[in-house]
Amino acid sequence: MRFWHKNLLAVLILFIAALDISVIMVMKKSWQLNMDSETRRAASEQTLIANNIFENLDSIRARGNTLTPVLLASVAQSYGDYYRNQGIGLELRENGRLIYPNTGSGQADGSEGQSAQTIRLSMPLPAPYQAMELTYSRDISGLYAQQQELNRFFVMINWIAGPVLALLLYLLIRRLTKPLKQLSETTRTIAGGDYSNRIELRSRDEFGELAVHFNRMAAAVEQRMTELSDMAGEKQRMVDNLAHELRTPLTSMQGFAEFLTSANIGKEEQIKAGHYILSETVRLKNLAFKLLDLSILRHQPLELSEVEVSALFEAVRQTEELKLKESGIPLEIDSSIPAVRGDADLLASFLVNLIENAVHASRPGSPIRLLAYEQNGEAVLEVRDCGSGMTAEQSKRAFEPFYRADPARSRLYGNAGLGLSLCRQIAEAHQARVELESVPGQGTGIRLILQLPNNLASYSITSRD
Amino acid sequence: MAHILVVEDEQPISDLITMNLKLVGHTYSKAYSGSEVAGMLEQERTDLILLDVMLPGLDGFAVMQQIAHLQIPVILITAKHALADRIKGFELGAEDYIIKPFEMLELLARINVVLRRNEQAVPAFVCGGVEVRFAERQVKVDSQAVDLTAREFELLEVLIRNRNIALSREKLLELAWGYDFAGDTRTVDVHIRQLRKKLGWEERIRTVFKLGYRLEVEV
Repeated sequence: MRFWHKNLLAVLILFIAALDISVIMVMKKSWQLNMDSETRRAASEQTLIANNIFENLDSIRARGNTLTPVLLASVAQSYGDYYRNQGIGLELRENGRLIYPNTGSGQADGSEGQSAQTIRLSMPLPAPYQAMELTYSRDISGLYAQQQELNRFFVMINWIAGPVLALLLYLLIRRLTKPLKQLSETTRTIAGGDYSNRIELRSRDEFGELAVHFNRMAAAVEQRMTELSDMAGEKQRMVDNLAHELRTPLTSMQGFAEFLTSANIGKEEQIKAGHYILSETVRLKNLAFKLLDLSILRHQPLELSEVEVSALFEAVRQTEELKLKESGIPLEIDSSIPAVRGDADLLASFLVNLIENAVHASRPGSPIRLLAYEQNGEAVLEVRDCGSGMTAEQSKRAFEPFYRADPARSRLYGNAGLGLSLCRQIAEAHQARVELESVPGQGTGIRLILQLPNNLASYSITSRD
Repeated sequence: MAHILVVEDEQPISDLITMNLKLVGHTYSKAYSGSEVAGMLEQERTDLILLDVMLPGLDGFAVMQQIAHLQIPVILITAKHALADRIKGFELGAEDYIIKPFEMLELLARINVVLRRNEQAVPAFVCGGVEVRFAERQVKVDSQAVDLTAREFELLEVLIRNRNIALSREKLLELAWGYDFAGDTRTVDVHIRQLRKKLGWEERIRTVFKLGYRLEVEV
């Protein structure tokens, strides 16, 4: 049974029951009031008639006549005839003996008066005629007919009001429960996997509130799902890339080793094959060590100390000196802060990785800038080049392991696409942020935002995180 | 033999493949990116393409779509072994699919299967006074027909297709007798001796220490 079925049925039954009971009670009360007033009227009329008869009898006695039954009957007759026209029957008894009416028709009237539709009252005449008893009967069939008419009307109203009420209730309840249907449908589509679906409901009642909460929940679920699928995508790409990075050198190594052992070849080709085995082994070794570095960084807490910027920059410059000279790229160093908090070796590794990337992106003669400065109470180390830059999509994935912004995926520089990944790990180990800003054709800037040494305020903020 | 275009961006692997192709008597051209392929196919007759999937510029699948009308058989070479990729490759009309790292013998065997299927295989092999006609399964030494048993011919064919490469006795059993042959490696020695005698190839079929046998032919 659906909710609106239950609602409709319950309200309908309750309403009709309440209506009927109250109407029946009202009718019953009105019947009682009618009867009471009828009875009161009868009693007062009876008293009036009894008094009149008494006065008549008194005056007859005063004139000296004796009260014979015939005389009594004629007195009663004069009243009886008068009141019969008004639907009132009179009987007069003396010591239980019926004096009036004495005819058969009178008896018939009397028997009719016995029926339920009459009010029948008896009272003795005032003294000294107390031996005589006046019975008054009043026909109230009109009242009954009226009551019956009311009953019929009530049943008819019931027959008409029932269906009309049911129809109105149906419309009303359908309307009221429409949000439920909407909620249910949206829930089903979301359960079916369409997380972008939302409930369009503008009411301010509980349903509207529920819809708002529901939408908030759906948004949270959708966001979580997107995050998860992004993460899964990144993992999958990482696995694919790792597979590629491992399989490619392994294929060469295995192939050339096979070639050396089984092929009928000359000295020159032997040397070539041996050379390839060597270079691919080195490539695999570098990859393994980079992966190891990443893994170690992830699992070892870092001892942060004060690192002098000038010494750090000098170390980086020395490491990269040869590569920069070969590529014809000047390195511009500019530092406005004396020191930062961090691990000297890791920071150097971070900057070296960035500079190598910058060298590959730059044309000869276009400078690379190595900067250190303060911004909003934090230390910033920045490497900025004027090279080829990256698109938004490339920037987004730049920190993924094995990702190369270079669409050719060429290994001309012998890196495996782990450089920026390593940088991200180094930043995380420092609880620092990395910001990348790149414009295609104009260059790339990467900032590492670190704590300044002895900066207690910023230290407490980061440690609370 | 056949002319094969090797499309592979990794210099070492490209060299590895072509050095082996040269050993067994194929000629080859090299391409290092997907975008070069169409132009190179126009310039020279090509019997088979060995195509890497992950290529700079145009990837392998895109290259296949681009050259589909030429109807040149393609063997895909890739590090990806996801089922979806393999299916995509076959749907685009690849003849075969080889996953890195691969063994050179396997690659050569697959190349031969594809070439034979496409009837690009050279019908005969001539070396010195010996002429081997594969289609007719006939062998002539100095224009004189020589009788070989079916198994000896299989063995000879394997040696010729993998010439200049040493093949172990197990490998020869596998290639010439079939995987399910439950025989002794000495069977190979016996057949090799027969071949040497019948063809006068005592010097050409070399016993390679610790490895097996190798048919040596000038490259």
